Amino acid sequence: MLALSVEGLQVRYPGLPVPALDLPSLSLPAGEKAALVGPSGSGKTTFINIVTGMDRAGAGRVAWNDRNIAALPEGGRDRWRARNVGLVMQDFHLFAGLSAEANVLLPQRLSHLRLPSGTRAWARELLARVGIERPDQRVGTMSRGQMQRVAVARALVGRPGLIVADEPTASLDAEAGAAVADLLVELAGEAGSTLIVASHDARLVERMGCTLRLENGRLAE
Amino acid sequence: MFHFILADLRRNWIGALILVLLIALATALGVSVTLQERALRLGSARAAAAFDLVVGAAGSETQLILSSIFLQPAPLPLLPPETMGALRADARVDNAVPVGFGDFVAGYPIVGTTADAVRMLGGLAEGEGFSHMGDAVVGAQVARSIGDSFHPFHGTVGEAGEVHSHVEYRVVGRMAPTGTPWDRAILVPIQSVWETHADHDHSHGPVESAGLAAVASVPHADDHDHGSGFAGQTVDESELLHADNPGVPAILVKPKSIADAYNLRQQYRTETTLAVFPGEVLTRLYGTLGDARRVLGFVAMGAQALVGAAILMVVAVHVLQRRRQIGALRAFGASRPVVMGMVWMEVFVLVAAGVICGFAIGYAIVRAISGHLAESSGVAMPVEFQAGDLWTLAGLLAACAVATFLPALIAYRQSPAQALRA
Repeated sequence: MLALSVEGLQVRYPGLPVPALDLPSLSLPAGEKAALVGPSGSGKTTFINIVTGMDRAGAGRVAWNDRNIAALPEGGRDRWRARNVGLVMQDFHLFAGLSAEANVLLPQRLSHLRLPSGTRAWARELLARVGIERPDQRVGTMSRGQMQRVAVARALVGRPGLIVADEPTASLDAEAGAAVADLLVELAGEAGSTLIVASHDARLVERMGCTLRLENGRLAE
Repeated sequence: MFHFILADLRRNWIGALILVLLIALATALGVSVTLQERALRLGSARAAAAFDLVVGAAGSETQLILSSIFLQPAPLPLLPPETMGALRADARVDNAVPVGFGDFVAGYPIVGTTADAVRMLGGLAEGEGFSHMGDAVVGAQVARSIGDSFHPFHGTVGEAGEVHSHVEYRVVGRMAPTGTPWDRAILVPIQSVWETHADHDHSHGPVESAGLAAVASVPHADDHDHGSGFAGQTVDESELLHADNPGVPAILVKPKSIADAYNLRQQYRTETTLAVFPGEVLTRLYGTLGDARRVLGFVAMGAQALVGAAILMVVAVHVLQRRRQIGALRAFGASRPVVMGMVWMEVFVLVAAGVICGFAIGYAIVRAISGHLAESSGVAMPVEFQAGDLWTLAGLLAACAVATFLPALIAYRQSPAQALRA
């Protein structure tokens, strides 16, 4: 369970006069379910990149449970992310040549020399939970809805304190999107993980505990 | 990690296969140039090593070796008739056998010599040596069985010559394999060759072709009946010692000791005769050919370098195209060294597989070519890797390991957010 505290965060890109993201102060309690909304270009993806440590924060402090990841070097942020963050992305980023189970286990395999014991069983349990009946089916042969459900299982397999989803339902039809939204909310709730979802999907947004609205890189109240 | 590499290779197997093939063929090119040159050099050197000293009439040393050891016909001048007798009588000489040529049958050169040539070259595998004018002993690779008979053709291999229909030889023995061009030769008594050509050339006038055709101009004292009686005549070895024989183009000499060999070589380097160690002639020949080999080597290396550069480009483009995938791996928690290691290993596995296949393909190609050459020339071609080749392979793999870091570095340098945006 992770609580977020952001202070004086500014992210600038070369050639742009105004910062892409400018958050003087923001905090989320542990276990919060936050929706991140705002028009395209408002800084949602930048926010996600910064709070997950995928990009370097220019200035300011981004602390999860008092661990300031903005001060970590790239390798340190990679390690922190591997331990603490489960990611679900709009276009899945599954590896077509691997089975559903291998995809779920891949992040664990890449960050551990040996799979921690019980991980495989947990992965199968999660796959069953998200409704994937054949764990050894290649993801290349799955429907988009199934793929995103595999991605949800992958995000959860490391028991992360933070789950971040970037437009998880945007590339799915309404029915599949609703199923994925349900799973995200339910599973994050069961695990007690903090959940941040960037989405335009009104039905998903209204199931969140709070809404962060970004406009031109600033929080709009 | 290995799962992932395997899955990725399986997914792109056509591209991976083409890459491996390209690398393998480029490597095979270089390997086969090296191996083939070595096989030719070792093969000819070993063929020549069976012969200690060659004595011929003054002229070209290279031609003398090519004609007497490699049995390549050429119009050689004849030695004075007394040379043969002098060498056979010399105390320093263990054995001296004449080499007379000019006739062929079915592409095999017929060599006129004496019965002890068989012993000098390693003995008989089956049958017996010749003792009559119509007897013949075939080399190990000659497709004739004991008991077969044939008419010699006058002329050179591949040319339709005139058949000596009145002369018939019968195969009485087969030599053990020697690994020299003599494995393709048919040995007959030199006296019978003299007879054949004396008759042939009497009726046709001087002929300018190879070897004993030149015997034509030598008046032939005896008036044998060349009919049926010819084949049955016993070989008269004493004829060799008489000064009135027609002479031969070359004599193979086996000296009793190394010191004798040098003495004899010294003594027979005169205005009318020439004495050479085959090895020294070949060494000089290789020296001349060395430049050609180096040029070939450079061409092969250039081709390899070009293929190598092209492959690095392909791989780099491939890695750039996979930036999103690599970014995703990073996003899901793979550290930079792990991602870099994966990219590097995947590329290196392909390149290394190509290089190793290339060595195998090169070896197979040279084996095939050498087998073919050995069959047509009789020279056994040893196709072999040497210890130094292992170092070449290791060096090549090390160079590949370093070169394949370049694409891996591309994967290392971008942040996951950058890579995912691509």
